[in-house]
Amino acid sequence: MDSARALADARTWAPHVLPQMRRLGVDSVPIALFIATFTGIVLALLSKYIFTGAVPMYFVGALVGKTIMMELGPVLTGLALAGRVGANIAAEVGTMRVTEQVDALETLAYNPNSYLVVPRVLAGVLMFPVVTALAVAIGVTAGWITAINLLDLSTLEFVKGLRLFYRFKDIWFGLLKAASFGAAVTLAGCLMGLATRGGAEGVGRNTTRAVVIGCEAILVLDAFWALVLL
Amino acid sequence: MKGRNEFLVGLVLLLTLVVVVAGALWLSESDIGRRESLHVARFRTVGGLTPGAPVTYRGVRVGRVEAIRLADQFVEADLRVYQGVELPGKPAVIAASQSLFGEWGATIISRDQPQDDPNVRVMLAETSRPGGDRWPGATLPDVGQLTAQAGRIATDIAAVAARVQETFDSTAVAELRRSIKDFGEIADKLVRFTENQTGRLNEVTANVERTSDAVLGASGHLESTLARVDSATADGQLQQILNNTRDGTGDLRAASADLRALLASARGQEASLIRTLLAADSILTGIQSGQGTIGLLAKDPALYNETIETMQELRRLIADIQVNPRKYFKFSVF
Repeated sequence: MDSARALADARTWAPHVLPQMRRLGVDSVPIALFIATFTGIVLALLSKYIFTGAVPMYFVGALVGKTIMMELGPVLTGLALAGRVGANIAAEVGTMRVTEQVDALETLAYNPNSYLVVPRVLAGVLMFPVVTALAVAIGVTAGWITAINLLDLSTLEFVKGLRLFYRFKDIWFGLLKAASFGAAVTLAGCLMGLATRGGAEGVGRNTTRAVVIGCEAILVLDAFWALVLL
Repeated sequence: MKGRNEFLVGLVLLLTLVVVVAGALWLSESDIGRRESLHVARFRTVGGLTPGAPVTYRGVRVGRVEAIRLADQFVEADLRVYQGVELPGKPAVIAASQSLFGEWGATIISRDQPQDDPNVRVMLAETSRPGGDRWPGATLPDVGQLTAQAGRIATDIAAVAARVQETFDSTAVAELRRSIKDFGEIADKLVRFTENQTGRLNEVTANVERTSDAVLGASGHLESTLARVDSATADGQLQQILNNTRDGTGDLRAASADLRALLASARGQEASLIRTLLAADSILTGIQSGQGTIGLLAKDPALYNETIETMQELRRLIADIQVNPRKYFKFSVF
Protein backbone atom coordinates (compact mmCIF):
# COMPACT_ATOMS: atom_id res chain seq x y z
CA MET A 1 0.00 0.00 0.00
CA ASP A 2 2.87 2.35 0.83
CA SER A 3 4.38 1.60 -2.56
CA ALA A 4 1.08 2.32 -4.28
CA ARG A 5 0.80 5.63 -2.48
CA ALA A 6 4.38 6.41 -3.42
CA LEU A 7 3.39 6.37 -7.11
CA ALA A 8 2.02 9.86 -6.60
CA ASP A 9 5.52 11.12 -5.78
CA ALA A 10 6.66 11.05 -9.38
CA ARG A 11 9.30 13.71 -8.88
CA THR A 12 11.19 11.36 -6.60
CA TRP A 13 10.96 8.12 -8.58
CA ALA A 14 10.88 9.33 -12.21
CA PRO A 15 14.63 10.10 -12.55
CA HIS A 16 15.51 6.64 -11.31
CA VAL A 17 13.32 4.61 -13.64
CA LEU A 18 15.56 4.76 -16.69
CA PRO A 19 18.75 3.63 -14.87
CA GLN A 20 16.76 0.80 -13.31
CA MET A 21 15.40 -0.17 -16.73
CA ARG A 22 18.95 -0.34 -17.94
CA ARG A 23 20.13 -2.39 -14.96
CA LEU A 24 17.15 -4.71 -14.67
CA GLY A 25 16.22 -4.99 -18.32
CA VAL A 26 18.95 -4.22 -20.81
CA ASP A 27 21.65 -5.83 -18.73
CA SER A 28 19.50 -8.96 -18.41
CA VAL A 29 19.04 -9.42 -22.14
CA PRO A 30 22.15 -11.59 -22.68
CA ILE A 31 21.21 -14.14 -20.04
CA ALA A 32 17.62 -14.23 -21.25
CA LEU A 33 18.72 -14.76 -24.85
CA PHE A 34 21.15 -17.44 -23.79
CA ILE A 35 18.41 -19.34 -22.01
CA ALA A 36 15.96 -18.85 -24.87
CA THR A 37 18.43 -20.08 -27.46
CA PHE A 38 18.96 -23.38 -25.74
CA THR A 39 15.30 -23.67 -24.91
CA GLY A 40 14.46 -23.37 -28.60
CA ILE A 41 17.08 -25.94 -29.55
CA VAL A 42 15.93 -28.43 -26.93
CA LEU A 43 12.27 -27.93 -27.81
CA ALA A 44 12.89 -28.61 -31.48
CA LEU A 45 14.85 -31.76 -30.67
CA LEU A 46 12.20 -32.89 -28.20
CA SER A 47 9.47 -32.29 -30.77
CA LYS A 48 11.29 -34.43 -33.27
CA TYR A 49 11.65 -37.17 -30.66
CA ILE A 50 7.96 -37.00 -29.72
CA PHE A 51 6.43 -36.63 -33.16
CA THR A 52 8.45 -39.16 -35.14
CA GLY A 53 6.19 -41.63 -36.88
CA ALA A 54 2.94 -40.29 -35.54
CA VAL A 55 2.54 -36.60 -36.21
CA PRO A 56 3.56 -34.56 -39.26
CA MET A 57 6.93 -32.95 -38.70
CA TYR A 58 5.66 -29.47 -39.43
CA PHE A 59 4.08 -29.64 -35.99
CA VAL A 60 7.61 -29.03 -34.68
CA GLY A 61 7.10 -25.39 -35.67
CA ALA A 62 3.71 -25.28 -33.94
CA LEU A 63 5.05 -26.76 -30.73
CA VAL A 64 8.17 -24.60 -30.63
CA GLY A 65 6.23 -21.42 -31.39
CA LYS A 66 3.33 -21.97 -29.06
CA THR A 67 5.43 -23.25 -26.19
CA ILE A 68 8.02 -20.51 -26.30
CA MET A 69 5.55 -17.68 -26.90
CA MET A 70 3.03 -18.65 -24.27
CA GLU A 71 4.93 -20.54 -21.61
CA LEU A 72 8.64 -21.18 -21.69
CA GLY A 73 9.63 -17.73 -22.93
CA PRO A 74 7.93 -15.76 -20.14
CA VAL A 75 8.44 -18.33 -17.37
CA LEU A 76 12.08 -19.22 -18.00
CA THR A 77 12.97 -15.56 -18.55
CA GLY A 78 11.04 -14.66 -15.41
CA LEU A 79 12.80 -17.33 -13.36
CA ALA A 80 16.18 -16.30 -14.69
CA LEU A 81 15.47 -12.66 -13.90
CA ALA A 82 14.06 -13.63 -10.52
CA GLY A 83 17.49 -14.97 -9.66
CA ARG A 84 19.41 -12.13 -11.20
CA VAL A 85 17.17 -9.11 -10.66
CA GLY A 86 15.38 -10.24 -7.49
CA ALA A 87 18.64 -11.09 -5.78
CA ASN A 88 20.22 -7.87 -6.98
CA ILE A 89 17.40 -5.72 -5.67
CA ALA A 90 17.08 -7.57 -2.37
CA ALA A 91 20.80 -7.43 -1.71
CA GLU A 92 21.07 -3.77 -2.66
CA VAL A 93 18.10 -2.57 -0.68
CA GLY A 94 18.89 -4.93 2.21
CA THR A 95 22.40 -3.59 2.40
CA MET A 96 21.02 -0.06 2.39
CA ARG A 97 18.69 -1.09 5.18
CA VAL A 98 21.37 -2.68 7.39
CA THR A 99 23.77 0.19 6.73
CA GLU A 100 21.04 2.63 7.69
CA GLN A 101 21.02 4.35 4.30
CA VAL A 102 17.28 3.87 4.19
CA ASP A 103 17.02 5.57 7.52
CA ALA A 104 19.15 8.38 6.14
CA LEU A 105 16.73 8.76 3.21
CA GLU A 106 13.85 9.02 5.64
CA THR A 107 15.85 11.56 7.63
CA LEU A 108 16.28 13.58 4.45
CA ALA A 109 12.48 13.45 3.94
CA TYR A 110 12.66 10.94 1.09
CA ASN A 111 10.07 8.27 0.99
CA PRO A 112 12.03 5.01 0.61
CA ASN A 113 9.15 3.53 -1.35
CA SER A 114 9.26 6.37 -3.84
CA TYR A 115 13.01 6.37 -4.04
CA LEU A 116 13.77 2.68 -3.99
CA VAL A 117 10.66 0.57 -4.65
CA VAL A 118 8.63 2.38 -7.33
CA PRO A 119 11.46 2.86 -9.87
CA ARG A 120 12.49 -0.77 -9.58
CA VAL A 121 8.96 -2.13 -9.81
CA LEU A 122 8.13 0.11 -12.78
CA ALA A 123 11.37 -0.85 -14.47
CA GLY A 124 10.56 -4.51 -13.87
CA VAL A 125 7.01 -4.18 -15.22
CA LEU A 126 8.25 -2.41 -18.34
CA MET A 127 11.42 -4.37 -19.05
CA PHE A 128 10.40 -7.94 -18.28
CA PRO A 129 8.07 -8.01 -21.34
CA VAL A 130 10.80 -6.46 -23.45
CA VAL A 131 13.34 -9.03 -22.43
CA THR A 132 10.75 -11.78 -22.82
CA ALA A 133 9.82 -10.62 -26.33
CA LEU A 134 13.44 -10.72 -27.40
CA ALA A 135 13.84 -14.11 -25.74
CA VAL A 136 10.83 -15.45 -27.58
CA ALA A 137 12.14 -14.20 -30.91
CA ILE A 138 15.53 -15.74 -30.28
CA GLY A 139 14.04 -18.98 -28.97
CA VAL A 140 11.84 -19.46 -32.03
CA THR A 141 14.73 -18.59 -34.30
CA ALA A 142 16.93 -21.11 -32.53
CA GLY A 143 14.23 -23.74 -32.90
CA TRP A 144 13.87 -22.95 -36.59
CA ILE A 145 17.63 -23.19 -37.20
CA THR A 146 17.75 -26.44 -35.28
CA ALA A 147 14.82 -27.83 -37.24
CA ILE A 148 16.25 -27.10 -40.66
CA ASN A 149 19.76 -28.22 -39.76
CA LEU A 150 19.25 -31.16 -37.45
CA LEU A 151 15.71 -32.40 -38.11
CA ASP A 152 15.65 -32.52 -41.89
CA LEU A 153 12.79 -30.05 -41.88
CA SER A 154 12.41 -27.30 -44.46
CA THR A 155 11.86 -23.66 -43.60
CA LEU A 156 8.44 -23.77 -45.28
CA GLU A 157 7.37 -26.71 -43.17
CA PHE A 158 8.57 -25.09 -39.97
CA VAL A 159 6.83 -21.80 -40.82
CA LYS A 160 3.67 -23.68 -41.75
CA GLY A 161 3.63 -25.27 -38.32
CA LEU A 162 4.51 -21.98 -36.66
CA ARG A 163 1.55 -20.25 -38.29
CA LEU A 164 -0.78 -23.20 -37.94
CA PHE A 165 -2.24 -22.40 -34.53
CA TYR A 166 -0.89 -18.88 -34.15
CA ARG A 167 -3.19 -16.30 -32.62
CA PHE A 168 -2.27 -12.75 -31.65
CA LYS A 169 -3.31 -13.69 -28.17
CA ASP A 170 -0.27 -15.95 -27.98
CA ILE A 171 1.96 -12.87 -28.00
CA TRP A 172 0.08 -10.56 -25.69
CA PHE A 173 -0.66 -13.40 -23.29
CA GLY A 174 3.09 -14.07 -22.89
CA LEU A 175 3.94 -10.39 -22.56
CA LEU A 176 1.19 -9.79 -20.01
CA LYS A 177 2.50 -12.66 -17.94
CA ALA A 178 6.02 -11.30 -18.22
CA ALA A 179 4.89 -7.88 -16.95
CA SER A 180 3.20 -9.49 -13.96
CA PHE A 181 6.33 -11.54 -13.29
CA GLY A 182 8.39 -8.36 -13.42
CA ALA A 183 6.14 -6.70 -10.87
CA ALA A 184 6.23 -9.74 -8.58
CA VAL A 185 9.99 -10.28 -8.74
CA THR A 186 10.92 -6.64 -8.19
CA LEU A 187 8.32 -6.17 -5.49
CA ALA A 188 9.56 -9.28 -3.68
CA GLY A 189 13.16 -8.06 -3.95
CA CYS A 190 12.31 -4.60 -2.66
CA LEU A 191 10.12 -5.81 0.19
CA MET A 192 12.65 -8.44 1.29
CA GLY A 193 15.39 -5.85 1.07
CA LEU A 194 13.49 -3.33 3.14
CA ALA A 195 12.67 -6.05 5.67
CA THR A 196 16.31 -7.01 6.11
CA ARG A 197 17.59 -7.13 9.67
CA GLY A 198 20.78 -8.32 11.29
CA GLY A 199 23.66 -7.31 9.09
CA ALA A 200 25.24 -9.28 6.28
CA GLU A 201 23.68 -12.51 7.39
CA GLY A 202 20.26 -10.92 7.25
CA VAL A 203 21.05 -9.56 3.77
CA GLY A 204 21.99 -13.02 2.55
CA ARG A 205 18.94 -14.60 4.15
CA ASN A 206 16.52 -12.05 2.73
CA THR A 207 18.18 -12.16 -0.67
CA THR A 208 17.62 -15.86 -0.81
CA ARG A 209 14.10 -15.38 0.43
CA ALA A 210 13.44 -12.74 -2.26
CA VAL A 211 14.58 -15.10 -4.99
CA VAL A 212 12.48 -17.94 -3.63
CA ILE A 213 9.41 -15.76 -3.24
CA GLY A 214 9.95 -14.30 -6.70
CA CYS A 215 10.14 -17.78 -8.26
CA GLU A 216 7.09 -18.96 -6.36
CA ALA A 217 5.19 -15.86 -7.37
CA ILE A 218 6.09 -16.48 -11.01
CA LEU A 219 4.73 -20.04 -10.91
CA VAL A 220 1.57 -18.98 -9.06
CA LEU A 221 0.96 -16.10 -11.46
CA ASP A 222 1.62 -18.41 -14.40
CA ALA A 223 -1.13 -20.72 -13.23
CA PHE A 224 -3.38 -17.76 -12.44
CA TRP A 225 -3.11 -16.22 -15.89
CA ALA A 226 -3.62 -19.58 -17.53
CA LEU A 227 -6.73 -20.05 -15.47
CA VAL A 228 -8.06 -16.56 -16.16
CA LEU A 229 -7.11 -15.98 -19.79
CA LEU A 230 -7.09 -19.38 -21.49
CA MET B 1 26.31 7.58 -18.12
CA LYS B 2 22.77 8.89 -18.17
CA GLY B 3 22.88 9.36 -21.91
CA ARG B 4 24.23 5.88 -22.40
CA ASN B 5 21.39 4.46 -20.30
CA GLU B 6 18.85 6.30 -22.38
CA PHE B 7 20.40 5.13 -25.60
CA LEU B 8 20.60 1.50 -24.59
CA VAL B 9 17.14 1.38 -23.10
CA GLY B 10 15.66 3.16 -26.08
CA LEU B 11 17.48 0.91 -28.48
CA VAL B 12 16.27 -2.23 -26.75
CA LEU B 13 12.72 -0.94 -26.51
CA LEU B 14 12.71 0.01 -30.18
CA LEU B 15 14.21 -3.28 -31.20
CA THR B 16 11.67 -5.15 -29.13
CA LEU B 17 8.83 -3.15 -30.57
CA VAL B 18 9.98 -3.89 -34.09
CA VAL B 19 10.43 -7.58 -33.31
CA VAL B 20 7.00 -7.92 -31.74
CA VAL B 21 5.10 -6.02 -34.42
CA ALA B 22 6.94 -7.58 -37.32
CA GLY B 23 6.65 -11.04 -35.79
CA ALA B 24 2.95 -10.69 -35.15
CA LEU B 25 2.30 -9.47 -38.68
CA TRP B 26 4.45 -12.15 -40.21
CA LEU B 27 2.90 -14.94 -38.21
CA SER B 28 -0.65 -13.82 -38.95
CA GLU B 29 0.27 -13.36 -42.63
CA SER B 30 -1.13 -9.87 -42.48
CA ASP B 31 -0.32 -7.36 -45.13
CA ILE B 32 -0.69 -3.78 -43.94
CA GLY B 33 -1.05 -2.41 -47.46
CA ARG B 34 -3.45 -5.10 -48.58
CA ARG B 35 -7.12 -4.24 -48.65
CA GLU B 36 -9.62 -6.77 -47.54
CA SER B 37 -13.38 -7.12 -47.73
CA LEU B 38 -15.51 -8.41 -44.90
CA HIS B 39 -18.14 -11.09 -45.50
CA VAL B 40 -20.34 -12.83 -43.02
CA ALA B 41 -21.08 -16.54 -43.23
CA ARG B 42 -23.91 -18.17 -41.35
CA PHE B 43 -23.59 -21.67 -39.90
CA ARG B 44 -25.73 -23.94 -37.79
CA THR B 45 -22.51 -24.79 -35.92
CA VAL B 46 -18.92 -23.93 -36.73
CA GLY B 47 -17.33 -27.07 -35.31
CA GLY B 48 -13.64 -26.37 -34.62
CA LEU B 49 -13.47 -23.18 -36.68
CA THR B 50 -11.78 -20.41 -34.72
CA PRO B 51 -10.73 -16.81 -35.40
CA GLY B 52 -7.55 -16.77 -37.42
CA ALA B 53 -8.39 -19.94 -39.31
CA PRO B 54 -7.59 -19.73 -43.02
CA VAL B 55 -10.22 -19.03 -45.65
CA THR B 56 -9.49 -20.79 -48.91
CA TYR B 57 -11.03 -20.70 -52.34
CA ARG B 58 -10.26 -23.52 -54.73
CA GLY B 59 -7.41 -24.53 -52.44
CA VAL B 60 -5.75 -21.11 -52.33
CA ARG B 61 -5.70 -19.05 -49.16
CA VAL B 62 -7.70 -15.89 -49.77
CA GLY B 63 -8.29 -14.63 -46.24
CA ARG B 64 -8.91 -15.55 -42.65
CA VAL B 65 -11.69 -15.90 -40.13
CA GLU B 66 -11.92 -12.61 -38.29
CA ALA B 67 -14.49 -13.35 -35.61
CA ILE B 68 -17.17 -15.84 -34.63
CA ARG B 69 -20.33 -15.06 -32.69
CA LEU B 70 -23.71 -16.50 -31.87
CA ALA B 71 -26.63 -15.00 -33.80
CA ASP B 72 -30.06 -16.27 -32.79
CA GLN B 73 -30.19 -19.90 -33.76
CA PHE B 74 -27.14 -19.63 -36.01
CA VAL B 75 -23.45 -18.89 -35.65
CA GLU B 76 -22.00 -16.09 -37.74
CA ALA B 77 -18.38 -15.93 -38.80
CA ASP B 78 -16.74 -12.80 -40.17
CA LEU B 79 -14.47 -13.66 -43.07
CA ARG B 80 -11.77 -11.26 -44.18
CA VAL B 81 -11.16 -11.92 -47.84
CA TYR B 82 -8.39 -10.25 -49.80
CA GLN B 83 -9.72 -7.75 -52.26
CA GLY B 84 -9.16 -8.62 -55.86
CA VAL B 85 -10.12 -12.23 -55.36
CA GLU B 86 -12.84 -13.14 -57.82
CA LEU B 87 -15.40 -14.94 -55.72
CA PRO B 88 -18.22 -17.04 -57.15
CA GLY B 89 -21.52 -15.33 -57.89
CA LYS B 90 -23.40 -17.29 -55.26
CA PRO B 91 -20.82 -18.13 -52.61
CA ALA B 92 -21.24 -20.57 -49.74
CA VAL B 93 -18.80 -21.63 -47.06
CA ILE B 94 -17.88 -25.06 -45.78
CA ALA B 95 -16.05 -25.33 -42.47
CA ALA B 96 -14.04 -28.49 -42.23
CA SER B 97 -11.15 -30.06 -40.43
CA GLN B 98 -8.07 -29.79 -42.57
CA SER B 99 -6.08 -32.55 -40.95
CA LEU B 100 -6.25 -35.15 -38.24
CA PHE B 101 -4.78 -32.70 -35.76
CA GLY B 102 -7.53 -30.19 -35.26
CA GLU B 103 -6.74 -27.63 -37.93
CA TRP B 104 -9.95 -26.14 -39.25
CA GLY B 105 -10.49 -23.88 -42.17
CA ALA B 106 -13.30 -22.28 -44.15
CA THR B 107 -13.57 -23.07 -47.83
CA ILE B 108 -15.53 -20.84 -50.17
CA ILE B 109 -17.53 -22.72 -52.77
CA SER B 110 -20.15 -21.84 -55.31
CA ARG B 111 -23.74 -22.62 -54.45
CA ASP B 112 -24.23 -23.55 -58.09
CA GLN B 113 -21.70 -26.30 -57.62
CA PRO B 114 -23.61 -29.51 -56.81
CA GLN B 115 -22.77 -31.03 -53.43
CA ASP B 116 -22.49 -34.79 -53.09
CA ASP B 117 -23.03 -34.86 -49.36
CA PRO B 118 -26.78 -34.68 -48.53
CA ASN B 119 -26.00 -33.27 -45.06
CA VAL B 120 -24.11 -30.39 -46.61
CA ARG B 121 -27.01 -29.71 -48.96
CA VAL B 122 -29.43 -29.66 -46.02
CA MET B 123 -27.22 -27.35 -43.95
CA LEU B 124 -26.70 -24.96 -46.85
CA ALA B 125 -30.44 -24.87 -47.45
CA GLU B 126 -31.11 -24.22 -43.75
CA THR B 127 -28.60 -21.40 -43.42
CA SER B 128 -29.61 -19.73 -46.67
CA ARG B 129 -33.30 -19.72 -45.77
CA PRO B 130 -33.27 -16.55 -43.58
CA GLY B 131 -31.90 -14.61 -46.54
CA GLY B 132 -29.94 -11.40 -46.21
CA ASP B 133 -26.41 -10.93 -47.47
CA ARG B 134 -25.03 -13.71 -45.26
CA TRP B 135 -23.31 -16.54 -47.03
CA PRO B 136 -24.81 -19.91 -46.18
CA GLY B 137 -22.44 -22.26 -44.44
CA ALA B 138 -22.15 -25.95 -43.69
CA THR B 139 -19.88 -27.84 -41.35
CA LEU B 140 -18.39 -31.20 -42.06
CA PRO B 141 -17.96 -33.67 -39.19
CA ASP B 142 -14.58 -33.52 -37.56
CA VAL B 143 -12.21 -36.38 -37.05
CA GLY B 144 -13.46 -36.92 -33.51
CA GLN B 145 -17.02 -37.49 -34.71
CA LEU B 146 -15.85 -39.81 -37.44
CA THR B 147 -13.72 -41.68 -34.94
CA ALA B 148 -16.66 -41.93 -32.54
CA GLN B 149 -18.82 -43.26 -35.38
CA ALA B 150 -16.12 -45.75 -36.27
CA GLY B 151 -15.94 -46.71 -32.61
CA ARG B 152 -19.69 -47.36 -32.52
CA ILE B 153 -19.43 -49.46 -35.67
CA ALA B 154 -16.55 -51.41 -34.18
CA THR B 155 -18.59 -51.99 -31.01
CA ASP B 156 -21.52 -53.25 -33.08
CA ILE B 157 -19.25 -55.55 -35.03
CA ALA B 158 -17.80 -56.87 -31.78
CA ALA B 159 -21.33 -57.52 -30.47
CA VAL B 160 -22.27 -59.33 -33.67
CA ALA B 161 -19.07 -61.35 -33.50
CA ALA B 162 -19.83 -62.28 -29.89
CA ARG B 163 -23.33 -63.39 -30.85
CA VAL B 164 -21.99 -65.41 -33.73
CA GLN B 165 -19.54 -67.00 -31.33
CA GLU B 166 -22.36 -67.80 -28.91
CA THR B 167 -24.46 -69.21 -31.72
CA PHE B 168 -21.72 -71.42 -33.05
CA ASP B 169 -21.03 -73.34 -29.86
CA SER B 170 -20.10 -77.05 -29.87
CA THR B 171 -23.73 -78.23 -30.27
CA ALA B 172 -24.31 -75.89 -33.14
CA VAL B 173 -21.12 -77.01 -34.79
CA ALA B 174 -22.16 -80.69 -34.40
CA GLU B 175 -25.55 -79.89 -35.90
CA LEU B 176 -23.89 -78.01 -38.65
CA ARG B 177 -21.65 -80.98 -39.37
CA ARG B 178 -24.68 -83.27 -39.39
CA SER B 179 -26.48 -80.89 -41.70
CA ILE B 180 -23.50 -80.85 -44.00
CA LYS B 181 -23.42 -84.65 -43.96
CA ASP B 182 -27.16 -84.78 -44.74
CA PHE B 183 -26.66 -82.29 -47.42
CA GLY B 184 -23.91 -84.49 -48.87
CA GLU B 185 -26.26 -87.46 -48.94
CA ILE B 186 -28.94 -85.38 -50.59
CA ALA B 187 -26.40 -84.26 -53.11
CA ASP B 188 -25.45 -87.92 -53.83
CA LYS B 189 -29.12 -88.81 -54.34
CA LEU B 190 -29.51 -85.85 -56.54
CA VAL B 191 -26.52 -86.97 -58.60
CA ARG B 192 -28.00 -90.48 -59.03
CA PHE B 193 -31.37 -89.06 -59.91
CA THR B 194 -29.73 -86.77 -62.39
CA GLU B 195 -27.85 -89.67 -63.95
CA ASN B 196 -31.12 -91.64 -64.29
CA GLN B 197 -32.85 -88.73 -65.78
CA THR B 198 -30.03 -88.09 -68.16
CA GLY B 199 -30.89 -91.27 -70.21
CA ARG B 200 -34.49 -90.26 -70.43
CA LEU B 201 -33.54 -86.83 -71.28
CA ASN B 202 -31.36 -88.19 -74.06
CA GLU B 203 -34.35 -90.15 -75.38
CA VAL B 204 -36.52 -87.10 -75.18
CA THR B 205 -33.85 -85.20 -76.96
CA ALA B 206 -33.73 -87.79 -79.70
CA ASN B 207 -37.50 -87.67 -79.99
CA VAL B 208 -37.38 -83.94 -80.09
CA GLU B 209 -34.76 -84.24 -82.78
CA ARG B 210 -36.94 -86.53 -84.81
CA THR B 211 -39.94 -84.32 -84.23
CA SER B 212 -37.86 -81.43 -85.30
CA ASP B 213 -37.02 -83.25 -88.53
CA ALA B 214 -40.70 -84.00 -89.06
CA VAL B 215 -41.57 -80.40 -88.38
CA LEU B 216 -38.89 -79.45 -90.83
CA GLY B 217 -40.50 -81.70 -93.46
CA ALA B 218 -43.95 -80.36 -92.67
CA SER B 219 -42.55 -76.91 -92.88
CA GLY B 220 -41.32 -77.73 -96.37
CA HIS B 221 -44.72 -79.04 -97.34
CA LEU B 222 -46.39 -76.03 -95.86
CA GLU B 223 -44.02 -73.84 -97.74
CA SER B 224 -44.85 -75.56 -101.02
CA THR B 225 -48.58 -75.40 -100.18
CA LEU B 226 -48.27 -71.74 -99.44
CA ALA B 227 -46.46 -71.32 -102.72
CA ARG B 228 -49.32 -73.01 -104.47
CA VAL B 229 -51.83 -70.88 -102.62
CA ASP B 230 -49.81 -67.89 -103.54
CA SER B 231 -49.78 -68.89 -107.18
CA ALA B 232 -53.48 -69.70 -107.01
CA THR B 233 -54.39 -66.35 -105.60
CA ALA B 234 -52.09 -64.40 -107.79
CA ASP B 235 -54.84 -63.35 -110.37
CA GLY B 236 -57.41 -61.94 -107.98
CA GLN B 237 -58.89 -65.33 -107.39
CA LEU B 238 -58.64 -64.89 -103.71
CA GLN B 239 -60.71 -61.69 -103.94
CA GLN B 240 -63.24 -63.60 -105.99
CA ILE B 241 -63.33 -66.39 -103.42
CA LEU B 242 -63.80 -63.84 -100.71
CA ASN B 243 -66.63 -62.19 -102.64
CA ASN B 244 -68.23 -65.56 -103.22
CA THR B 245 -67.80 -66.35 -99.59
CA ARG B 246 -69.38 -63.01 -98.67
CA ASP B 247 -72.35 -63.76 -100.98
CA GLY B 248 -72.57 -67.30 -99.63
CA THR B 249 -72.47 -65.90 -96.13
CA GLY B 250 -75.37 -63.54 -97.01
CA ASP B 251 -77.34 -66.43 -98.44
CA LEU B 252 -76.49 -68.48 -95.44
CA ARG B 253 -77.66 -65.64 -93.20
CA ALA B 254 -80.98 -65.44 -95.15
CA ALA B 255 -81.35 -69.21 -95.01
CA SER B 256 -80.65 -69.04 -91.34
CA ALA B 257 -83.42 -66.44 -90.94
CA ASP B 258 -85.81 -68.61 -92.92
CA LEU B 259 -84.81 -71.57 -90.83
CA ARG B 260 -85.41 -69.55 -87.68
CA ALA B 261 -88.93 -68.62 -88.99
CA LEU B 262 -89.54 -72.20 -89.96
CA LEU B 263 -88.44 -73.35 -86.55
CA ALA B 264 -90.78 -70.79 -84.94
CA SER B 265 -93.64 -72.08 -87.11
CA ALA B 266 -92.68 -75.67 -86.34
CA ARG B 267 -92.59 -74.77 -82.67
CA GLY B 268 -96.21 -73.47 -83.06
CA GLN B 269 -97.19 -76.58 -85.02
CA GLU B 270 -95.51 -78.67 -82.39
CA ALA B 271 -97.72 -77.13 -79.72
CA SER B 272 -100.82 -77.73 -81.83
CA LEU B 273 -99.67 -81.26 -82.52
CA ILE B 274 -99.10 -81.85 -78.83
CA ARG B 275 -102.59 -80.62 -78.08
CA THR B 276 -104.00 -82.86 -80.85
CA LEU B 277 -102.03 -85.78 -79.61
CA LEU B 278 -103.25 -85.15 -76.09
CA ALA B 279 -106.83 -85.03 -77.33
CA ALA B 280 -106.24 -88.18 -79.37
CA ASP B 281 -104.65 -89.79 -76.40
CA SER B 282 -107.65 -88.85 -74.31
CA ILE B 283 -109.97 -90.26 -76.94
CA LEU B 284 -107.92 -93.40 -77.29
CA THR B 285 -107.81 -93.78 -73.54
CA GLY B 286 -111.59 -93.46 -73.49
CA ILE B 287 -111.89 -96.01 -76.29
CA GLN B 288 -109.45 -98.24 -74.48
CA SER B 289 -111.53 -98.04 -71.36
CA GLY B 290 -114.70 -98.79 -73.35
CA GLN B 291 -116.28 -95.39 -73.07
CA GLY B 292 -118.41 -93.96 -75.83
CA THR B 293 -119.75 -95.61 -78.95
CA ILE B 294 -116.41 -96.48 -80.43
CA GLY B 295 -115.28 -97.77 -77.07
CA LEU B 296 -118.29 -99.88 -76.77
CA LEU B 297 -117.74 -101.03 -80.32
CA ALA B 298 -114.20 -101.86 -79.53
CA LYS B 299 -114.93 -103.57 -76.23
CA ASP B 300 -118.39 -105.15 -76.74
CA PRO B 301 -118.34 -107.99 -79.34
CA ALA B 302 -122.13 -108.20 -79.37
CA LEU B 303 -122.49 -104.62 -80.39
CA TYR B 304 -119.78 -105.12 -82.94
CA ASN B 305 -121.58 -108.10 -84.35
CA GLU B 306 -124.87 -106.20 -84.40
CA THR B 307 -123.20 -103.34 -86.10
CA ILE B 308 -121.77 -105.73 -88.69
CA GLU B 309 -125.11 -107.24 -89.16
CA THR B 310 -126.72 -103.82 -89.44
CA MET B 311 -124.21 -102.85 -91.97
CA GLN B 312 -124.86 -106.00 -93.94
CA GLU B 313 -128.59 -105.35 -93.79
CA LEU B 314 -128.01 -101.77 -94.84
CA ARG B 315 -125.96 -102.98 -97.82
CA ARG B 316 -128.73 -105.34 -98.74
CA LEU B 317 -131.32 -102.62 -98.42
CA ILE B 318 -129.25 -100.31 -100.61
CA ALA B 319 -128.92 -103.06 -103.16
CA ASP B 320 -132.63 -103.68 -103.06
CA ILE B 321 -133.31 -99.97 -103.42
CA GLN B 322 -130.99 -99.90 -106.42
CA VAL B 323 -132.86 -102.79 -107.93
CA ASN B 324 -136.34 -101.74 -106.98
CA PRO B 325 -136.31 -98.03 -106.42
CA ARG B 326 -140.06 -97.62 -106.92
CA LYS B 327 -140.56 -99.91 -104.07
CA TYR B 328 -139.21 -97.42 -101.86
CA PHE B 329 -139.48 -94.07 -103.65
CA LYS B 330 -142.50 -92.72 -105.48
CA PHE B 331 -142.19 -89.64 -107.64
CA SER B 332 -145.14 -87.84 -108.95
CA VAL B 333 -145.16 -84.44 -110.53
CA PHE B 334 -148.76 -83.85 -110.35
